[in-house]
Amino acid sequence: MGRGEGVLRRKRLSLTTPSLLGLPLAWLGVFFLLPIAFVALYSFDVYSLNPGPHGFTFAGWQAMFHEPIYLRLFWKSVKMSLAVSAIIVLLAYPLAYYLALSGTKRKYILLLLLIAPFLTSYLLRVLAWKVILGDQGVINTFLFWTGIRAQGHPVSQLLYSQFAVMLVLGYIWLPFVALPIFVSLESLDRSLLEAASDLGASRLQAFRRVTLPLSLPGIFAAFLFVFIPTLGEFVTPSLVGGASGYMYGNQIVDLFGTGFPDWETGSVLALFLLAVVAVLTIVFSRFLQPRTVS
Amino acid sequence: MDVALSKNGARVLRAFFVLVVVFLYAPIVILLIFSFNKAQVPAFPLSGFTVQWYRDFFANSDLRGALETSAIVASLSSVGAVFLGILASIALTRRSFRAKPLVSALLLSPLVIPYVVFGISLLLLFHTLGIGNGIPTVFVGHTVITLPYTILVLVPRLEQVDVALEEAAFDLGAGRVRTFVLITLPLILPAIVSALLIAFTTSFDEYAVASFVIGTRVTFPIYLYSALRFPSELPQVIAVAVVVLVASLIVIVGAEVGRRLAERRLAD
Amino acid sequence: MDTEGRGTERRFDRQTLLKLAAAAGGAGLVAGPTGVAEAMNALSAAESGRLQVLDWAGYGNDGGQAMFAQYVKQHPNNKPQFTYMTNEADALAKIHAGLKPDLFRPYVGWVKYFATSGLVQPWDTSKIPNFKHLNPFMVKAGQYNGKQYGIPEDWGFDAILYRSDKVQPKAKSWGLLYDERYKGKIAWFDDPVENLTIAGLLFGFPDPWNQTDAQLKQSQQFLISKKHLVRTIWSSETELDQQFASGDVWIALAWPNDWVQMRAKKLPVVYMHPTVKKQRPIAWVGMFMLLNGTPRPDLAHAYVNGWSSKASAKWLEDNYGYGHANTQARPASSDLLRVLDLSNPKAVTLPNAYLDRDVPRRADYAKLWEEVKAS
Repeated sequence: MGRGEGVLRRKRLSLTTPSLLGLPLAWLGVFFLLPIAFVALYSFDVYSLNPGPHGFTFAGWQAMFHEPIYLRLFWKSVKMSLAVSAIIVLLAYPLAYYLALSGTKRKYILLLLLIAPFLTSYLLRVLAWKVILGDQGVINTFLFWTGIRAQGHPVSQLLYSQFAVMLVLGYIWLPFVALPIFVSLESLDRSLLEAASDLGASRLQAFRRVTLPLSLPGIFAAFLFVFIPTLGEFVTPSLVGGASGYMYGNQIVDLFGTGFPDWETGSVLALFLLAVVAVLTIVFSRFLQPRTVS
Repeated sequence: MDVALSKNGARVLRAFFVLVVVFLYAPIVILLIFSFNKAQVPAFPLSGFTVQWYRDFFANSDLRGALETSAIVASLSSVGAVFLGILASIALTRRSFRAKPLVSALLLSPLVIPYVVFGISLLLLFHTLGIGNGIPTVFVGHTVITLPYTILVLVPRLEQVDVALEEAAFDLGAGRVRTFVLITLPLILPAIVSALLIAFTTSFDEYAVASFVIGTRVTFPIYLYSALRFPSELPQVIAVAVVVLVASLIVIVGAEVGRRLAERRLAD
Repeated sequence: MDTEGRGTERRFDRQTLLKLAAAAGGAGLVAGPTGVAEAMNALSAAESGRLQVLDWAGYGNDGGQAMFAQYVKQHPNNKPQFTYMTNEADALAKIHAGLKPDLFRPYVGWVKYFATSGLVQPWDTSKIPNFKHLNPFMVKAGQYNGKQYGIPEDWGFDAILYRSDKVQPKAKSWGLLYDERYKGKIAWFDDPVENLTIAGLLFGFPDPWNQTDAQLKQSQQFLISKKHLVRTIWSSETELDQQFASGDVWIALAWPNDWVQMRAKKLPVVYMHPTVKKQRPIAWVGMFMLLNGTPRPDLAHAYVNGWSSKASAKWLEDNYGYGHANTQARPASSDLLRVLDLSNPKAVTLPNAYLDRDVPRRADYAKLWEEVKAS
């Protein structure tokens, strides 16, 4: 290859990277970053839904931290999400362990079987639970029919409660959570386990000292995959949560939609949620496996 | 794998796995049962077999309109997302540049934004710029949401493809674009199809963001949501639910199996 | 009867004048008053463009056009085009954002607000032949400063619906919504103002719609303290109906139609008007208001006239279970007739009920309500 050709090739290389990334990055810049900037601007009252004088002010943010009501609602949502995430990660781990390490020949088919419900309609699966949990729903009428509970005495707190929200959220996310744990267990080096066995360790010890620590990135990823979306959840709580299952996401939606819109407070709440999620993601990304993309 | 699990341990875990799978599919089966049940309200005991709800659903033009709108939005946004995803994935796997970790973080960041926040942010953007809500605004929202998924599917496949093939073509005088079209594209086709399917099903099913920026039109999830809150058409909705669930299960399983077969064949 | 609109800058050229003369003359010759109405129609049809209506879901084409069938028949070329409002604040936001409807429908509590906002103009009731059939007390509620800003149409009550086989109220009082004995079986209504107002009624405050800071605080604290009794906070009627029918809820703030629906399902229910001391049910009335600067005022008047007709009224009562301000209409259901007390035109106002009214501190009420929901 002569000098001229080499120069030509290098020129081409440096030209195409911006032209490749230009469009996707511009798209995200305009339709992802810019909207978030608008949320910030509304939260500082630089823009406002209401006509009349307004300008940069911290009033919305001061109100949020001064009156603890919204922070308390946020904490309630955090607790619910934490509980749901912890429980389903605990449930998903043995599933992923079985698939990855039991030597079963059909592990990918079984994995697909597990994940498939997650890839179907979210609302329809919530609908299924609404049908199942009500006072005259499937569970209760089944209990009446079989005589376990007397007619007219249904188990009442199944639907329209915090329990209902957590149950349905757990049901929705359980399949998805198994995936990262499976991935990290699958890439486990079997020879490490064999070495441990050779050195006299029991299976339980090998699990505690080899498998568990090495699968920790998968566990963290799984936990984050469910914790972050459920923190901002509003659809499930609005369908099965009733008055007591009201979550932080519902509050944001209400401030933008029903009753008497208050876009400033709504933006403050939304940005606060986003900030918490961003911090969590950055902090925990150190514990996750390096992504294959970089 | 004896070092990881004893025979008894394996049996216990298998039983647990079966239990969980039953738990996951039971509500779907229950919907299936009640879609053929005569009564208006789903409750035990069952009241007799009927296909009336399926017939009613086919005759329901509002519902069909919603399905149509969702199909349009999903088709457009999946094509858009995959197109952007291909561009981004090529840059990430075939080019080296210093800002790569930052760029890939940015490209994947829509994965972590809560949809309620993203939905209202688009609402604010379009409201402030005076852009009306409708199919184009949902299109925009869904391309952003599904872009990371397409990248996550395309990148591993692009990394698998032997760069030497591309370099050979380039050396023989084919331009970058021709190399891509003639060499790379056929090899990553299974991944492109996968990415399209994932983007399509995600968009088709998406409620949260769409609810903020759809304006007065109705997508299928939005129709479903109001049916859930105003359950006068509950039996029909259940019938639809079963059809959509079964169809998507078949598509997903079929697509995944197909992709693996295709990639195995391409590797030979 | 001339039809030059107030506030419209139309200048009649010779052509239009001739048309008017011909129409009026010819029509007058043939059919008397009907003919003149036709002439009016012919002229208002000259207003260009379709009528832009900002209305609630269920009142547009989605509800069936029976409610404005008369208008569509008269003006087939100016069929209404609908944009939906989820509530008055949403309508306000849309108007500020640049939407230009010709008319919209806030409820009676907002009449003073919009009348003083500069956004609306009074109606010319001489152009609404059906106006004389509308309930005079509701009509009065749509007036501000002697001008008719709101034309009443749909109406109903907020009162308490309860299962008579499960619930024994201690008194005919709003307190039933906060009764500790029925924890987990109570439904409140998601309204930014109503709940605080009802608490105010319960406490016997002099003006529950305009409470002082201290009174509001007391009302809010009360609601927060009782929230654990609440199963759901409903925002759509069919949602409430389903919760009631399925037995998930035994006590709710509800509208008359909900009682009718539960009776149709053979449930033992009572629709209780609180009457203890100064408590009363609250009455709501939908008011059509005309936007300022609209280019189609005559079409708007014609639309409202269509809505105010006896046929529309009957359709509304039969299909949605709401009352209609047209006093001539009677629904098919005797249950509805009874629960709406339709034979008593004074049903919506004292001494029978409190008509919903202007809330000067609406934003404060709304904020406090959001906090109750968050608690």
